[in-house]
Amino acid sequence: MSDVPLRRLSLRLAVLALFALALCAPAGAATIVRLHANRIAFYYDRFLIEADGNVRVQTSDGMTVTGQAFTMDLRLNRFMVAGHVHVDSPSGSQDGAALADFLSFNRVYFVPITTEPDRWTFINGDFKHPVKGLVMPGDTFYFPDLAHARVYLYARSAVIGAQAFVRFGPSRVALVGHAYVPFPSYYLNFSTNQNLGANSLAGANFDGTYQFAGNANAISAVHVRYDTVNKAYLSFEQHLSSKNAYAVFSLNPATTTSKYWNLLLDDRPSKTFEIQTFTQLHTVQYGLGQPFQAQQVTNVQLTQALKRAFLQGNYQFFNASLLAPFAPNINAGAINAFFPYHPSNASLGISTSDEQFGKLPFFERMRFGFGFQHNSYGLQTIGGVPYTTIWDHYAGFTIYSNPIRIGSPMKRFTDLYLNAILDKQRTWNSTPHYIDTTSTTFSLSKTFNQHLSSYLMYNVNNTGDYYTNGLQSVAYAPFVPALNGSSYPGYAAFHGQATLRTLSLGATYTNLDYFTFSLLARQHKDFPAPIPFLFPLPPTNVLGQFLYPNFLGQPAFDITGDLRFRLNPHMSIDISRSYYFNYENLRWTPQFIFQVMQ
Amino acid sequence: MMRTRLMRAMALALVICALGAGTGALSITGQLLDYEKGYVFFTTGDGFRVAPDLRLRSYKTGGPTALQPQARMYARATFDAAGDVSELDLSRAPLTFAGDYAAAHKFAVALSPPVANPALVPKHGGGYCANTVPGKLVPVTITVQVPPDTAPTDQVYMTTDISAWNPQAYLLTRINAMQYRLVLQLLSGTVMHVLFDRGSTQSIQRGENGLQQQPYLLCVGDSTVQAYTRTIYHWGDEQHGNLSAPQAFPTPYNPAPFPNLPTPPPSP
Repeated sequence: MSDVPLRRLSLRLAVLALFALALCAPAGAATIVRLHANRIAFYYDRFLIEADGNVRVQTSDGMTVTGQAFTMDLRLNRFMVAGHVHVDSPSGSQDGAALADFLSFNRVYFVPITTEPDRWTFINGDFKHPVKGLVMPGDTFYFPDLAHARVYLYARSAVIGAQAFVRFGPSRVALVGHAYVPFPSYYLNFSTNQNLGANSLAGANFDGTYQFAGNANAISAVHVRYDTVNKAYLSFEQHLSSKNAYAVFSLNPATTTSKYWNLLLDDRPSKTFEIQTFTQLHTVQYGLGQPFQAQQVTNVQLTQALKRAFLQGNYQFFNASLLAPFAPNINAGAINAFFPYHPSNASLGISTSDEQFGKLPFFERMRFGFGFQHNSYGLQTIGGVPYTTIWDHYAGFTIYSNPIRIGSPMKRFTDLYLNAILDKQRTWNSTPHYIDTTSTTFSLSKTFNQHLSSYLMYNVNNTGDYYTNGLQSVAYAPFVPALNGSSYPGYAAFHGQATLRTLSLGATYTNLDYFTFSLLARQHKDFPAPIPFLFPLPPTNVLGQFLYPNFLGQPAFDITGDLRFRLNPHMSIDISRSYYFNYENLRWTPQFIFQVMQ
Repeated sequence: MMRTRLMRAMALALVICALGAGTGALSITGQLLDYEKGYVFFTTGDGFRVAPDLRLRSYKTGGPTALQPQARMYARATFDAAGDVSELDLSRAPLTFAGDYAAAHKFAVALSPPVANPALVPKHGGGYCANTVPGKLVPVTITVQVPPDTAPTDQVYMTTDISAWNPQAYLLTRINAMQYRLVLQLLSGTVMHVLFDRGSTQSIQRGENGLQQQPYLLCVGDSTVQAYTRTIYHWGDEQHGNLSAPQAFPTPYNPAPFPNLPTPPPSP
């Protein structure tokens, strides 16, 4: 591998991805509307495009319309041209006062002026045979009321894909307040197909997305991002989508030495089968130079729908180093770290659909399956025996209740609801080892009014890690930790069976508009007890959040506030912070979790 | 939808009423579509013949104006006894639609006689997506039941086509162990497609059969309040498989279910 520059591999991957995407993303059949005018204004809040002065509209079905004014409601999928209208269609030309095209209904309503005004309707693109005098919908030629609307973007040209996208030419965009920033182009997708929204980027505290190119099946975007680990950086993302497949390629971050090359593929060849893959290449390199570190991981997931269940297979393989151990290092000071590991794992499981217990408000779902883990450099040593492959099989079930009303059903917003959830699973390994997990949750909730609601929740997580053949005391050798001059003999009672109890009180207030505040207070009573500084805290993601919610050594008390404030219809700020009551000398979380959603 | 437009037309007819203006002359106020070839057109689609001696005046001052009638402009049209528009009072500022439309409609010029349009016959059924008078602010309470394995600390969001499928577009708040809620003030007539997730596109809900969930249609009607409930059966990032999140390389295999066990002191 060291002879093949990673740069070339990356480019090949990118080209392959784009090729695959191009294959699966045929041009959409939706009507394309090309608009030119002296002034085009886009009202993002209402998905309205208004244009004035020398309006020229060309549609993909061969019609060209000129006029004084243009209005289009992207959501209703209809446009209207008014004032000195001239229409050129495959069947001829005609002047008129206004023309409205209801794209979804394949109807064009026209007020022609021949010897006198008239009303014509063209149905299904038949411009040769207008239906004359047909009564038109009352608002056919209405201009929208823009009294309280604010222009988000100005341009002089736009390409509109019906019910899919709009791409403006050189534009001035109101990013914040009334300051308009020039952009060479601006693309916006509003398709009902969610596949173009799929992304392969990690989270960030701030993400400003500039979609500089796109159509009904593709988006090219540059992201301006910030997170607490990588700080400010740029990323690139390419989306391609068709009706039953999509692909996303990204390079994130693109402007730091540590780069992640991501490729996400999804295909549904039939109504009951779906394939998903995710491949990530991590390189450490200056620019696009020779990498001095490279890793790769690939996940493949196959899902087959069954009657009242689904079968899912997963396979993952990971190469911790793609470079040779002593690859020449062309950059002074760079580290060529080599890890020989290339583990893999696979699983095949069935999950059943929810089934109700008779007419009771209780439901159950089950799951079972098997799989393996493999690492030729060793996974685990038990009783002196090293294992490089461990097979496992598992079975589990969940029983839960729908919210059960407690109190009078006549009192709206003042009743109490009870919920209960029980989940249990056992996993057997091919080693003398099995794991039991049980989770039990009860909650009582009350909605005071539309603004305020709260809940009280009690959750118990039992985890038992069992080794047979007398190996339990080897795996969990009892010991008494001593920290800062204090010993904690209670920990010696821990032999691999933990119980985490959490009592939560949550409340949320919303003003139903732009402001939401939630407060969550929790008390943990765990075994083993949370001995300060004994249990390492879990790693956090780039947003500062713990990667897994349940862990040994949680602070006995914590309280978290979360404020979400909508700055405008397209941008929100989310701020949260937790207080730990001096656990491990920790009062507040080291930082606010601050996120701007665009 | 057609019925909606018919109702809009009726509403327009009601607001365009005659202003006697003391002289007994009929007049209507509305927004212009066009003025050419001896006709003036209003946004109702009606074209009226203008008198040869048409007077153009400022709506605001009543005096002479430099404005010329054109699309988007507002105007009050006064008809003479022959049914021609004898005066147009022009304004760039929005004017309240007024006047007796029914009386003025008989002066509208159209070569072809009206033909009934069967597509405009009101249709029944269709729930909130049909027969809605748009423009009313409606509190919509969106409640979702999440899968039972949703962690207590998970956040749930709604992603929509009108937010370009941003997975963190709308935050829902937990109301009990298995339900989250969001209340939005939306205009009646709003149509959107929605899905729910845990903050990333990888987590967008899956169907009960484990496959990709098609977006739900959310139509806002014109009732006083509206409730919208959905059940989420699975999250896209459930731990049945091994799909890693972006930039989260797999950690070495850990046989213990406790990822942060303390390290015991070395044996003597």
